[in-house]
Amino acid sequence: MSSSALAVSDRLRATSRARHAKDRALMVLAWAALVVAVVPLVAIAWFLVEQGVRSISLEFFTSDPPGDLSASGGGIRNAVVGTLLMTGLATLIAVPAGIALAVFAREIGGRVAGSVRFVVDVLAGLPSIVVGIFVYSLVVVTTGHFSGLAGAVALAVIELPVIVVASDELLRLTDRRIDEGTRALGMLRWRSFLSVFIPTALSGIITGVLLAVSRAIGETAPLIFTALGNNFFTLDMNEPVQAMPLLIYRNALNSAFPAARDRAMGTALVLVVIVLAFNLMGRWIARRARPADQR
Amino acid sequence: MTTTPIRLQPPPVEPAPVVSVSAASHNAKMLEPAELSVELSGVNAFYGSRRVVRDISLPVRSNAITAIIGPSGCGKSTLLRCINRMHELTPGAHVEGRIEYHGIDLYAPDIDPVAVRRTIGMVFQQPNPFPTMSIHDNVAAPARFNGLIAGKAAEHDLVERCLRQAALWDEVKDKLKAGGTSLSGGQQQRLCIARALALEPDVLLMDEPCSALDPIATLQVENLMVELKRDYTIIIVTHNMQQASRVSDQTAFLTMGDDRAGYLVEMADTVEIFTNPRQQLTEDYVSGRFG
Repeated sequence: MSSSALAVSDRLRATSRARHAKDRALMVLAWAALVVAVVPLVAIAWFLVEQGVRSISLEFFTSDPPGDLSASGGGIRNAVVGTLLMTGLATLIAVPAGIALAVFAREIGGRVAGSVRFVVDVLAGLPSIVVGIFVYSLVVVTTGHFSGLAGAVALAVIELPVIVVASDELLRLTDRRIDEGTRALGMLRWRSFLSVFIPTALSGIITGVLLAVSRAIGETAPLIFTALGNNFFTLDMNEPVQAMPLLIYRNALNSAFPAARDRAMGTALVLVVIVLAFNLMGRWIARRARPADQR
Repeated sequence: MTTTPIRLQPPPVEPAPVVSVSAASHNAKMLEPAELSVELSGVNAFYGSRRVVRDISLPVRSNAITAIIGPSGCGKSTLLRCINRMHELTPGAHVEGRIEYHGIDLYAPDIDPVAVRRTIGMVFQQPNPFPTMSIHDNVAAPARFNGLIAGKAAEHDLVERCLRQAALWDEVKDKLKAGGTSLSGGQQQRLCIARALALEPDVLLMDEPCSALDPIATLQVENLMVELKRDYTIIIVTHNMQQASRVSDQTAFLTMGDDRAGYLVEMADTVEIFTNPRQQLTEDYVSGRFG
């Protein structure tokens, strides 16, 4: 073997050893980061299931809580129904408004759209208790009483920025070529959005909406002085309405009583399962909304 | 929907002109006004204050294929987009000069740009079928939205007629419900042509329609263009000189001036441009010595 060939092979070995070491170190770091991220997640899930599952029974979903929260028995029917009603109404308000805002921002462009985006970002960063105060003075003070409607408006304000941001991103991603296609076919702008852009972005918009719903469903602060909470079952959105986070909050505050503590844990578990269900549903819908060849 | 279709005045009925290629006579280039479909005079196009197209006058014959050739960046596409008023959609862009369609000034204040685009169809470089729509709906929807057709039967007839015109029917007739983007590139481009035809335009603008296609698909689209010129006036922008010489009847050669704006070097019957150009620049370009 010639000396130059030896030198080349040495160089090759040295380089590859150093690089392999770096490679391995980074892999270890990546795994460590994964563990750091996953451990709390698994721990919370395990804690919730372990602590909450013993409260779960048919009665838990079909009856309302006892008047005295230290008493055992009863369920959370009023809170589950209240949460679904308020979140549903909030979504009905926030989705059209959010998509309309995103369409507006995309269509107008320029400085106006910039300020719309800025305001929406600020809104997204607003502490939720501030949203509560705002809706309190807007709805509760005006109507003179707490109500499920006020709670829904507060949740709609929470959902709005999430929906706008998701829709805006997706509509901006809509291919410029598709946009030109609709123009060249003499399609009017509202028609292009309704029939081409929004359907194209639909799977992403649905994901955004479900993210917004998941976020709103767990909000407590905006409901404290809007929906207020209610120990009784009601479908009347003009009355104070109970919600699951409010029920968790009240019961967890009194966790010295085992019954209250268990009720809080059970409700927390149900809440997490509902959020998870919304997420899975969103993924499923999003996959179905995509054209066949992109699935 | 109650939208009444806004249409420009229908073009005057006239017999398809016999395209006589008399290369010897320069007078052959002086076209009779009656033969013209679109006529550009002194057109300038701007992005902001920057002029990208300078003083172009172009007579476009009816029922013929007019090719616009020239090096990259010489304003070919911009010029094409002036004709159906797409250029002005770019923020800050505007057009000066006069563009007439059968004698009607397309930039007159009472002309609706949306109606112009319905009458003067356009096919783009990249096929752009609507991704969430089926093959059927890609053709039918724009016509439906424009109020040109109503009812399932009428839609079906229209879809079949346009897909046949675009030489795509036999390939897709059994899968009309499949997504428009599930087709191959060449098929997608013919679908886009069918979609444009569904609005019953009179002029078809094609902006490098074959540059994203393979040679076989290119040939299919070229054959299609020759078929279509019986019923339509076609203006095609192309980088491909062989394509221009194969399909077009008249050719306009543009190039970029010192001011970086595109201008018209020469326009004549295609045969003449490729065999006997009057300008040295044209000669150099078509023989591949420049550009």
